[in-house]
Amino acid sequence: MDRNQLVKWLEAPAKMSHKYSLHAVYFCTGCGIIEVPPVITARWDAERFGVLPTATPRHANLFLITGYVSVKTLRAIIRTYEQMPEPKYSVGFGSCPINGGMYWDSYNTIKHLDRYLPIDGWIAGCMPRPEAIFVAVTHLWTLIEKDMADGYKRYRRDYAQYRANQERVLGELEWPPLFAAGEDV
Amino acid sequence: MSATLAGRLEAVFKDIRTGADGDARLTVAATPESVLPVLVFLKDSGYGYLQLVSCVDWIERGEMEVVYVLSAYPGGPVETEFESIVLKTRVPRDTPSLDTAIDVFPVAEPYEREIHELFGVHFEGHPRLVPLFLEREYEIPPFRKDFDTREYVEDVFGAVPPVVEESQEP
Amino acid sequence: MRELELYFGPQHLGMVGNFSITLTVEGDRIVKAVANPGYLHRGFEKLMELRSWIKNFPMVCRMNVVEPDSMEMIYSMGVEKLAGIEVPERGQFIRSIYLELARVGSHLFGLWAYANMLGFDTVSQWAMYHRDLILDLFEELTGGRVYHIYIWPGGVRRDFPDGFVDRIVSTLHSIGGCVPDYDNAFFHNPVFRDRAKGIGVVGREDALAMGGSGQVLRGTGLPFDVRKDDPYAAYDRVPWEVHTREDGDAYSRIWVVRNEMIESVHMIFKLLDAMPEGEVYNRIPNPFKWRIPEGDAYVRCESSRGELGLYIVSDGGDAPYRAHFRTPSYPHGLAVLEKALVGANIADVGNIMISLYVVAPEIDR
Repeated sequence: MDRNQLVKWLEAPAKMSHKYSLHAVYFCTGCGIIEVPPVITARWDAERFGVLPTATPRHANLFLITGYVSVKTLRAIIRTYEQMPEPKYSVGFGSCPINGGMYWDSYNTIKHLDRYLPIDGWIAGCMPRPEAIFVAVTHLWTLIEKDMADGYKRYRRDYAQYRANQERVLGELEWPPLFAAGEDV
Repeated sequence: MSATLAGRLEAVFKDIRTGADGDARLTVAATPESVLPVLVFLKDSGYGYLQLVSCVDWIERGEMEVVYVLSAYPGGPVETEFESIVLKTRVPRDTPSLDTAIDVFPVAEPYEREIHELFGVHFEGHPRLVPLFLEREYEIPPFRKDFDTREYVEDVFGAVPPVVEESQEP
Repeated sequence: MRELELYFGPQHLGMVGNFSITLTVEGDRIVKAVANPGYLHRGFEKLMELRSWIKNFPMVCRMNVVEPDSMEMIYSMGVEKLAGIEVPERGQFIRSIYLELARVGSHLFGLWAYANMLGFDTVSQWAMYHRDLILDLFEELTGGRVYHIYIWPGGVRRDFPDGFVDRIVSTLHSIGGCVPDYDNAFFHNPVFRDRAKGIGVVGREDALAMGGSGQVLRGTGLPFDVRKDDPYAAYDRVPWEVHTREDGDAYSRIWVVRNEMIESVHMIFKLLDAMPEGEVYNRIPNPFKWRIPEGDAYVRCESSRGELGLYIVSDGGDAPYRAHFRTPSYPHGLAVLEKALVGANIADVGNIMISLYVVAPEIDR
């Protein structure tokens, strides 16, 4: 490894550990789950990128929302996202979270996921290829390096708007607000 | 037995009509009251496999058509004539109600729940007529023809504003 | 003893697919299980009524993510039955080969899930790798790994490319050559036998009463297979067997899956030998101005999970008036699962659920 890289790592070891061990919470939210087992098994091997599935959101820092999000799933996704410790990154996988995708006129799926949860990046496709997931991971590394992957900070700062949108669609939420109003980033 | 299934059905139940499509399929049109006795009769005649309970909304005629698709498992004790039997019945759209078929075919339980929540048909005697897929009430059951799903999407999801970040505010 | 309500919820390592079960447990033993589907409900059948007949083809395959090809097939069969379209002989053979490749791929996915659930990580890696080799074949044939949109009303979209038959044969040989490894590592493994024998027993009477089909019924000894009882495509042109096992437990069902996979591979070779030359496609009328005559039909085929049916109604228009998919996971995941889980241990819930071969998107549609 070259000296510049080594110096960069020693200056910001926390960033290095965030980038190279993105542990994804194992939640099969939609269609896209069909391309995740090939990615985490031997042929495409996400572990060489540091990406592993974990059983519980408490151990995870990457949330891959694979595919369309129905209203029932949105409830579960918000609870899962809020349980993840910071810093955490969320990536929308497939065309459906971006703008509704193929189910743009369905009464049970939400259309724009970034109005309910902060998203750091999208992977377009229906299905995206496994290589697209790896491109997304390396892109996420660049964003983390440049401090641009700030979804969790935006959630903290704009929580009132996110919660208002969540309540608009889901009605009464069973869990109390995660951040009190006016909390610092 | 020399009489065909259609003949025997029409002999026992006076208020049904049958139509055969070769020896592949028999269509039976029954009134709502005779649906359960016909199902029992068909099950005893060897058609013990309820594949599907479906519903079609004929809005122009003001009726809902509940459809039962039956077939026979191979190797049963009774020789069966048809590959498939489609039993249809019509209920009025304003007050659609039928008796549950669970006592005859236990597999009908989730199908009837689904038809209840998506079409609004009530099944008398069903022990668990609670929503199966949907997590909220809709004014019109969503699979009915007068439920405009695109308008609903515009009203509910289109009204959700994008999150405005502080740096973007003027 | 106290009863406790647990959520074997959507975010769970033992749950493949977005599905939830509410368990009432007494200690470690399940007293009652209630399935909670609906996390993947899109109102598919309502959306189909808003799109024309031909525009529904890319939609339909997304109903079952693991084996989209059987969905394309059943919709095509329904449309062809209503419109009275015939498929040429070579098209039927290609359809059968394509569906059998999809079946092997789907069974390998099920083996990944099941072996992973039981803790056999090596076998699950092999299974997913071999499924990827089959997805490479699909990519060459149709352009997509997962969603193919290859079966078209009137036949298939295009003929096999040059040399494709050789690539099918060599891929299947490389997969089939690993069967002794699979057997030694998993199927003949005494740990698998101890973990699966007697678990999740579904007796034949229960399976029949609850509309069971596929492995759930074949694992109880009844040789019910739609490909034999109601043949479609080219399944009646080559000799093949239906595999069954007695006992009705998870062990029997997974053994049926293994035997079916091997039978499918042999069937593909026989179909490739017997395939005639000719057209693969019969022209349909202008697909964008296509009105199908009035009528209704119930068609069925055998997907990798059981009997897949479609009740389709046309009112003479250019879109389906009603299309209701009878998916095999519907009775298995809602009626059979709730019965099979009673009396089981919490540790076996994933085991039983995956051995019943339930795919959640099929239930919710």
